[in-house]
Amino acid sequence: MFSDLLFRLRSLFRRKSVETELDEELSAHLERQVEKLMNSGLSRENALRQARLDLGGFEQTKEECRDARGVGFLETLFSDIAYGFRVLRKSPAFTIVAILTLALGVGANTAIFSVMNTVLLKPLPYPDSNRLVTLWENPQKDPEDLNIASLPNFRDWQRTAHSFESMATFDSAGKGYNLSGDSDTDLVSGVRVSAQFFDVLGVKPFLGRTFFPEEEISGKDHEVVLGYGLWKRRYHADPSVLGKTIRLDKESYTVIGIMPADFQFQFWSGPRQLWVPGGYTINDEDRGSHSFLSIARLKPGVTPEQAREEMAAIGTRLAQQYPQENHDGSATVVPANRIGMKGIQATLVALLVVVGFVLLIACVNVANLTLARTAARQKELAIRQAIGASPRRIARQLLTESVMLAIAGGMAGLATATLILRLAENILTDFLQFLPFRQVTDIPIDLKVFLFCLGVSCLTGILFGLAPIIGMRRLDINEPLKEEGRTATQHHGGKLRNILVTVEVALSLVVLAGAGLMLESMARVLRVDPGFNPKNVLALHMAVPQVNLYVGPPTLGRFCQDIDEHISAIPGVLSVGAVSHLPLQGSAGRSFAIEGATDPGAGNQPGAAYAVACPGYFRTMGITMLKGREFNHQDTLTSEQVIVINEEMAKKFWKDKEPLGVRIKLGMYSSTSPWMTIVGVAKNVRKYGLDQDFNPEFFRPYTQAGWPTMTLIARTAYAPGSFEAPVKEALKAIDPDRTASDPETLESIVHDSVNSRRLPMILLVSFAGLGLMLAAVGIYGVVNYGVTQRTGEIGLRMALGARPAHILRMVVGASMAWAVAGIFLGIIGAVLATRLLMGLLYDVSPGDPLVLICVSGLLVFVALIASGIPARRATLVDPMIALRNE
Amino acid sequence: MTPPHMELPQGTLDLLILKTLDPGPRHGWAISERLEQISNDALRVKQGSLYPALHRLERRGWIKASWGSSENNRRAKFYELTRSGRKQLAAEETAWRKLTAVIGQVLEGA
Repeated sequence: MFSDLLFRLRSLFRRKSVETELDEELSAHLERQVEKLMNSGLSRENALRQARLDLGGFEQTKEECRDARGVGFLETLFSDIAYGFRVLRKSPAFTIVAILTLALGVGANTAIFSVMNTVLLKPLPYPDSNRLVTLWENPQKDPEDLNIASLPNFRDWQRTAHSFESMATFDSAGKGYNLSGDSDTDLVSGVRVSAQFFDVLGVKPFLGRTFFPEEEISGKDHEVVLGYGLWKRRYHADPSVLGKTIRLDKESYTVIGIMPADFQFQFWSGPRQLWVPGGYTINDEDRGSHSFLSIARLKPGVTPEQAREEMAAIGTRLAQQYPQENHDGSATVVPANRIGMKGIQATLVALLVVVGFVLLIACVNVANLTLARTAARQKELAIRQAIGASPRRIARQLLTESVMLAIAGGMAGLATATLILRLAENILTDFLQFLPFRQVTDIPIDLKVFLFCLGVSCLTGILFGLAPIIGMRRLDINEPLKEEGRTATQHHGGKLRNILVTVEVALSLVVLAGAGLMLESMARVLRVDPGFNPKNVLALHMAVPQVNLYVGPPTLGRFCQDIDEHISAIPGVLSVGAVSHLPLQGSAGRSFAIEGATDPGAGNQPGAAYAVACPGYFRTMGITMLKGREFNHQDTLTSEQVIVINEEMAKKFWKDKEPLGVRIKLGMYSSTSPWMTIVGVAKNVRKYGLDQDFNPEFFRPYTQAGWPTMTLIARTAYAPGSFEAPVKEALKAIDPDRTASDPETLESIVHDSVNSRRLPMILLVSFAGLGLMLAAVGIYGVVNYGVTQRTGEIGLRMALGARPAHILRMVVGASMAWAVAGIFLGIIGAVLATRLLMGLLYDVSPGDPLVLICVSGLLVFVALIASGIPARRATLVDPMIALRNE
Repeated sequence: MTPPHMELPQGTLDLLILKTLDPGPRHGWAISERLEQISNDALRVKQGSLYPALHRLERRGWIKASWGSSENNRRAKFYELTRSGRKQLAAEETAWRKLTAVIGQVLEGA
């Protein structure tokens, strides 16, 4: 075996000498044979002929000898590759288009699959993350409706459940902390957590320790664990900061631990940078107050299903035990990597289908190109066959060329994927920034998928590259050699190529229809009236430290007045206000009781979105007051408690009756909270997104109520962004320990609110554009090939008096017939396939006729141009030259 | 070329080549001449298949090739049996004899 290998290698590396030896050996044989035959009386000429015949073809024998030596395979490969290079270089247009086509198809798929891999398939960044789960309260009737838990319920879970190794909870909202002390005040995103929080995630601190259970108690909670990034940025990675005191929201906290660099945690927000112990308030201890998210680590071997069963039983038992607060409630378990991924998954699946179509179009295109070219090479192949190449040998040559193209296309595809990910980096990170537990900073290329896509396109090239060969055995090799002019109109594979055009047009119509629907949805969403005037308004976010969520510290009344005085005084600021929840950025919710109404009982209490605002909020936002008034500085802790409700709340609870003057109170009918009088009805604004319905909402003034965060808004005469510095300056003058961060304009908030639509839309439209381009190239290629083949015929027609317009009509008409067939097929396909986009559409239905008409029109237009260009060129040919060409 | 030519049964060309090399080294043309001689021209080895066969046997290590000068001082590639080639020849000869004997028996018995 080994000597065999050596022999082959010698043959390979000493190819030149082996080759000359072979030549010499066979020539010597021929010489002797000729001598022998001449001796028997033949003329030299005849002897030579006879000797050659005896040998059976000099070159063929050499080839067989090479095969016998076993070098055949590699050697043929080398020569095929060299030949392939020559052939590909000789037709650069074909080569470039084929490589680009492959690159787009492979690149688009690799990019999207890489996103999918990063987001959906990669495990969460914690040890044994498959054992991490989230715990939720849910109604018994609807297990899909997940609600965050109340602290007492969480404690009961923790005490009774056996499926988990550890269980922890954290404040679902988290908040920004005013971090001050040694240098400038920073607003740092942090979160209150229970003691076992870091154990559940399975992470040890880099320095120091994490929390003890007793530190969860309010008053003993003044300890803080810092994230590595914050430690490095603010404390220059100085280990001596451990044990030191820093100031958070004007209170002292001792730094007890630093988390490792690779630890990251986020949930419904960006990454958190500091952690403090629970420090639970009276409010937190209310079983009816839901503000805690719970996570747990399953015991090894316990499945999420088993845990879910146990939690359902515990939840049901708690509902019986506390019928008031846990009315018809239960509890459930969702694996941590599944939570909050539904929407993203739907979007990614839709995108995958689209890039799948692009890959199909690319494959069809490559097939088409290869077919056209192999047909154009009939003569060359026939010559090769005539001089002794077997069909198998020719097939191998073509195969080598296809694989070479595929490899080049694949390399270009890898580059394309990188480029797509780079170009889409911003919208991708916007789109993926709030994934639970995942901080997506980079998206590595998924090599498995790349290889798969490459394989698919490779196979296509090979399949269609070889198709003409299959018929070749039967083919009379004289036919293509004779073929000139007269027989040119019957070109091989012409029909197949036209069918491929139909397929290509149909596929790109489906993708275009999807893109059209997304664009139309986006346009309609952006046309929605947000309920406020976003032009020239600056918003700055602030943290407002306080103990009780629903009763603000009395200083806030003063604060509202302060901002009114100081910030309004800035030249160019027209009006100032503040609110706990800006439109389009979500809201909190509260249940309430209406004075004079009958108590509907536990679980059936009316509820609405809840927000707190400073006087001047509605005016500054440009929200119309439909009835009554908005808050003013006379609404104080000592005056009557007042609220403003929105139109939707008025409609839902009072219909035709007058809501002004009606009183409601927070919580149950039995609660002791004060009555609040409705003093105004404001126009609806979009709370959750432009594409979301209105919800009932009521507002309380900061002068009478509190909220841990506050967003300051200032309407300016011009360029709101330029007011950031003066506004911050004014804030500092009011209170040096308080800072505002994350400046935004209302316009950018409106813009960002459709981010979740923007990514799929931009990608879909780009991919549809690619598909259209590929289809255009396909049509152009086929028509161009047909026209080239028919140059003689067209010349003849023109010589006989046909006008150019006539020729143009004939050529374009023939190709348009196939394109139009594709459009009809595509419309059927689009009606079926665009249903996949259902969840991503707004106010437009899959198969929308207007969209279909528009994209069909676009395709017809593109097909006309793609077939018109080569057709027009054909009519410019001088008939005499065309005919002489034969 | 008077007697009708017989087609060589599959796989026997290798055996015949090895046999012609049994007495000593020969070059390609001599092998083909020898094959024609010993078979009284009844057996016609297509020269086209002789050379590939020689290269195949060389690869298998049963024969080895070396350049030398022939009868009238012309350079030629000579082939000779290797040790494993001799073994192979013996084995193939035995196998062939056995086969023909068995076939003979069958034909007689019938």
